[in-house]
Parts: sequence; structure tokens; C-alpha cells
Amino acid sequence: MGRLVEHPILDVKSSTSKTHVVFYFEGQPICALPSDTIASALIANGIDIFGFTEHNHARGFFCAIGKCSSCLVEVDGIPNVRSCITPVRDGINVRRQEGRGKPKW
Amino acid sequence: MVDNQAGGKRHVDAIVIGAGPAGLCGAIAIAESIGDGTKVLVVDEGIEPGGQLPKQTHKFFGHEGFYASVRGFEIGKRLVDKARELGINFLMQTTLAGIYEDSIVAYDRNSNSVSEYTADYILIATGASERFLLFKNNTLPGVYGAGAVQTLMNQYKVMPGKSFLIIGAGNIGLIVAYQLLQAGAKVKAIVEATSKIGGYMVHANKIMRLGIPILLNHTIISALGEDRVEGAIIAQVDGKFKPIPGTEKEIAVDTICLAVGLQPSVELVAQTGAEIKYISELGGYVPVRDENMKTTVNNVYVAGDLSGIEEASTAMIEGYIAGYNIAQKITGKDMSEKITNMKNELVEFRKGPFAAKVREGLKKMGISFPGGGYREEIQQMPSSLSRLKAVIECPQAIPCNPCETSCPTGAINTGGNINGVPQVDYEKCTGCGICVTKCPGLAIFLVQQREEHSIVGIPYEFLPVPEKGSSVKLLDKNGKYVADGQIDRVMINRKEKTHIAFLKVPKGMEGVVRHFEMSTVSEESQAYICRCEEVSRNDVEKLIDSGITDYEEIRRVLRIGMGPCGGKTCRSVVLQIISEKTGVPISESRLGAFRPPVIPLPIDAIVRYAKGVGTDE
Repeated sequence: MGRLVEHPILDVKSSTSKTHVVFYFEGQPICALPSDTIASALIANGIDIFGFTEHNHARGFFCAIGKCSSCLVEVDGIPNVRSCITPVRDGINVRRQEGRGKPKW
Repeated sequence: MVDNQAGGKRHVDAIVIGAGPAGLCGAIAIAESIGDGTKVLVVDEGIEPGGQLPKQTHKFFGHEGFYASVRGFEIGKRLVDKARELGINFLMQTTLAGIYEDSIVAYDRNSNSVSEYTADYILIATGASERFLLFKNNTLPGVYGAGAVQTLMNQYKVMPGKSFLIIGAGNIGLIVAYQLLQAGAKVKAIVEATSKIGGYMVHANKIMRLGIPILLNHTIISALGEDRVEGAIIAQVDGKFKPIPGTEKEIAVDTICLAVGLQPSVELVAQTGAEIKYISELGGYVPVRDENMKTTVNNVYVAGDLSGIEEASTAMIEGYIAGYNIAQKITGKDMSEKITNMKNELVEFRKGPFAAKVREGLKKMGISFPGGGYREEIQQMPSSLSRLKAVIECPQAIPCNPCETSCPTGAINTGGNINGVPQVDYEKCTGCGICVTKCPGLAIFLVQQREEHSIVGIPYEFLPVPEKGSSVKLLDKNGKYVADGQIDRVMINRKEKTHIAFLKVPKGMEGVVRHFEMSTVSEESQAYICRCEEVSRNDVEKLIDSGITDYEEIRRVLRIGMGPCGGKTCRSVVLQIISEKTGVPISESRLGAFRPPVIPLPIDAIVRYAKGVGTDE
């Protein structure tokens, strides 16, 4: 797991970009590229367990285009965010979702 | 766009749902025809428009009119640029959440709010989603859809793993395997439950010549691992796709990639009240529609994979057909010429054997497309090629002709139909190699028989680009080592990035060699044999390969055994390597001389001895 540093077809300069976005996953700072989604940033950092089902089974991402809902995470306390189609933002707090997400009330 | 009232419904002439190839082409057709892009609204869930095009790094099939030979991500860029130039509005990161009787509701993730629209016409091009496969532990992190792996790898340049197992040998599975290899990952195998490769043979050949096994009549039984994938169990299947007990095999991989087909995303079109029908040949439930892509609801049109799983090229054509029809109704102008042209394109594209399923499926909707009428005869490689010539290995009738249209001397033809198997007129071919770099299937090679050896030019899209003169291992079409060879030269193609590597191959092997492997220095061969002079196994092996097989000679060239230890450590190892490489037992090879002194003996000691100093008097 990690970022591509060379590719025969694609321009991977952005992978070595100097500008970074820092957000938090389970309280730990994660360094991402501005072009990342939450999912791509997590996988680039070696994290592929995005949450657990209500039966405590690990779940990661699956379809990458917002269709399967396997990659749901909690962002700033809001559950059910599709990490594969949500761009990273500085300072957001991302947590592994458990089950359907905890209601705030 | 007309804003009726704040917070109220906004009205557009046409709303296009989905910004993939079908939706983009539909929107472009409408905007161009009505002369005002601002009256067309494209809504898409993705972050950037383009649908699945931005993740496609391979060159597309088809003909120039629909961007054949252009890589998918580049096609996406061109279509989006064109749409933006026309002033078409995009609502990205916005999910069309529902189509109600009186309102179309869109949810914008960014603003976390919905908005309401009305439109005179709706073009639905929501595409498809990947099919799931049922096996034990199929939800473990590390089991990903093939499209998901493409998105991560090619769009975000992130690799989800190091070694992959691919399930499904259709075009998507084959393409993903090739793209993974380009990105430097390992592909352990492709397993396919049926008894034949479903995708184009040219796609299969690209990975088979790299030595990737395609296991037919095999399926996955289980993903292994606690919290993430650590391996897989595969097994052979019988004629009913049931695993055969006792044939299970464990494969260590960290990622499993499912490429088992697509199913149309019909949720929204169903909400319009349009009739939905189950037609397995088209991918499952699809909207019923006519030749003009109109559904059973008068102002609702469809295009692309939603209307039946097919290709990006046909998705674009269907988009245009739907778009021109909508434009014709909006403007009242006769657009029949453009519509007929596009319909004729579809007829051509769908004549081939790979479109048989689609033809069958459409027949169930009362739409008929003719099959056949193309050349299937495969041209044999000429037995004598004293000058460099193109050899095409494109054995199936597929709708693709850049070889024909790119040839500057008109030497290649597909026989009058785009599906025809191409043939070369060897009188006209100059061996320029343009077709090699254009062919989306990487199925054209350059061959020349020279006096002392033959030359084979191979399309090459990997890193590192080999250097002229370097030694390589020559591989056949199944990736099997057949002989040693050398890079004669490399024709670099900076723009399109399909280079041509010219290989020197033994005479008679020009029809066999179809790829190569760099003779890389393995970790084991980097190991030192001689500690004193730092001589590696690779240094010794290279010298032996060059013909020097005598220990004494090797010692003189490499200084192995001439360091302070005098060969006490390395001699036996070198002798063993000589024996391994030459096949001559150590007992029969020359041992080399043992010269004094056996340790580094200080000159001083000799001098002192000669002068009589330090000895007992």
C-alpha cells in the first residue's frame, strides 16, 4: 500500500506534491494530498479498515464510486459519510463507523 | 437556467443525469444543437465529471471519430472541455436523489442541501455498478471491485496492495491486470469460472506474454484473513460452476479484485415510470427504449451502460442519438441527418461477434441490428521478411481500426468493415511502426530477418524503459522464457507513451518472441562472494556467461582470491558457481594454483630475517 512514485503512462507528480492537507483519523494526524478523497488518503497511509459492522466485522472500501456504502465513516461526528467520494479537508476528524453510526441525541 | 423563485424549483430545457461518456455526449449534442449550453444541466455524484473515463489509462478501441487510440482519461478530459466550452452547467458532488411526479430533487453533498428542478427532457445516463460475487469472507477489507482498484490506482495514484488475485477474465479483469502490472504490482493469477476468456484476445495476450496465468474453469472459494485479506482459496469448477472437491489451492495475496461484470443502475429511470425489463444479455434490468433511445415515457431518454452493458464507444454514440433527438424536439428543427449518421455508426459497431449478446438483447425490445459482413480470415506471417514489416496478431473481429487509419502508406486494411480482421499489404508496408504505437490492443509487432539474427519490435508501456544493448530474457506469447536476447534499440514515443523495444532474437524465433524481461540482478546475485575485493555472484556469473570459465582466468579479471585472504573464503564458492553454470563437476575442473604466502606476510619480517634482526642470536 502507498502512493505511486513512477508510472509509465500517468503523471504522478501530484503524488510528490509539497502541499498537504492534514486531517485526523481516530485521533491520529494523517497527511493527505489536496486531491485525495478520505478513502484514498487512508489507503495511501496503509489504513484499509474503515469501520466495523454491528456484528463487529471489519469493513473497508469496495466500489470507490459511492454506490456500495461499504466505506462509510464518521466525519466530525456525522456518520454515514461515503469516504470514497468525499474530498479531504484540513482538520476534519474522521472515525471508524460502528454499525449504522451513533445518533447524536 | 431559470430561477423561478428563491428556494423554488429551477427549470432547464434538459437535465442530464450522469457525466460519463454517454451523458457528456448527450449534453454536448443538445447544447450544440440548441446553441445554448446554459439550458442544459448535467448532474453527477462524482467529484469531477467524466464518469469512469478518468480511471482508464489504456487506449480505446473503435475509430478516430470516437477517439480510438486515445487513452480513456484523455477522452474524458476532451469531452468535459468541450461541454464546458459550450457553457453546459455541471452540478458535481450532487446526487439526483429522486424523480417525483412534479419535481426532480438533487442533493448537494458540499452544501448539505437539496434543490428542486423541473426539465422539459431528461436524459438518464447513470451507467452501471459492479456485480458482487458470493464467496466466504467476501466483505473483508482487501476485496475490492476492479473499478475501485482502477479508481484508486489511476485516479488517485494510490496502490491498495502489492499482490493481486483477479476474479473474472472479461475485458475489465484483463485490463485491470495489465494496469496493475504497469503500476508495478504483482498479479498472481486471473481466475475465470467459464471455460473461455470473455474479453478480447488482444487484451488477454498483453498479460499472458508477461507470464500471468489465466486459470479457466476456476473460481474463488474463500478470502483468507482475520481483519483484512491475506490470501485466497481457489478451486476448479465443474460444468455447473460448482467447485470440485480436492482441487482447492491457496494463493497468498493481499488484494482480491472482482471483475465479474456490471449491472445497469436503473433506480432513477424506474422512478420516472418508464418500463423496466429483465434482459440478461443487456446486463439485467434495463429500461425499455426505442431506436432513438426514448423510454416508454415521452420525455425521458437513456444512453450508455444503463441501457445495456456495452462499450464506451457505443455509450458515446447512444448519447449523441438521445441528445439529437431531444434537441430536435426542443428546437423543432429537423436533425434526422445527424441522428441517422449516428445510428449507422451503431450498426457498424454492433456487427461483430462480441456484440452478439447486445443484438440478442435488443431484439427482445424489438430493435434489430444485423450481424456479420466482416472479414474473419487471419493473415499468416510471411515466411520471409528481409526488411522491417508490421505483423498483426489481432485474431478476432472487434470493432477497431486505428491500424488502418493511421498507416501513412495505406498498407493496412480491415476489409471494409471496422470489425474485420486487419491484413497487411507487405508491398506497401515500410515498417515505420506508427500502427504499433496506435494499436489499442498492443497487437502489432515489427519483424525483420537479418543475416545473423532477427529483429522483433514490441510495443512497450512499462518502466524502466530498457537501454540499448542491454541483455534481456526473451519470452514467448505465454510469458515463457525461450532464449537470451539483447535490446537492439528503443523507439521512444513521448507523447503517446507506447514505445517500441527492438529485440535481437535468434534466427527463426521472430514468430515466437513476443515480450522480454530485463535480466535484472536478483538480490541473491548481488551477494558478495569475495569479501576482500568485494566481488559479487553477479560479477562472476556475468564473466562466466561471457565465456571465461577457468578459475585462474576469473581470478585475473576480477581479482577474486587475490585479496588478503588469498582465496580461502571464495575459491570453493567460485568453483561451485563455475560447476553450476558449465555443468562440469568440481572434481573435473581446474582448481587453480595455491601460491605463497598464505597470509599477508609483512615485507618487514623478511627484511628483518635477511638482516638477522629479531631472530634468536
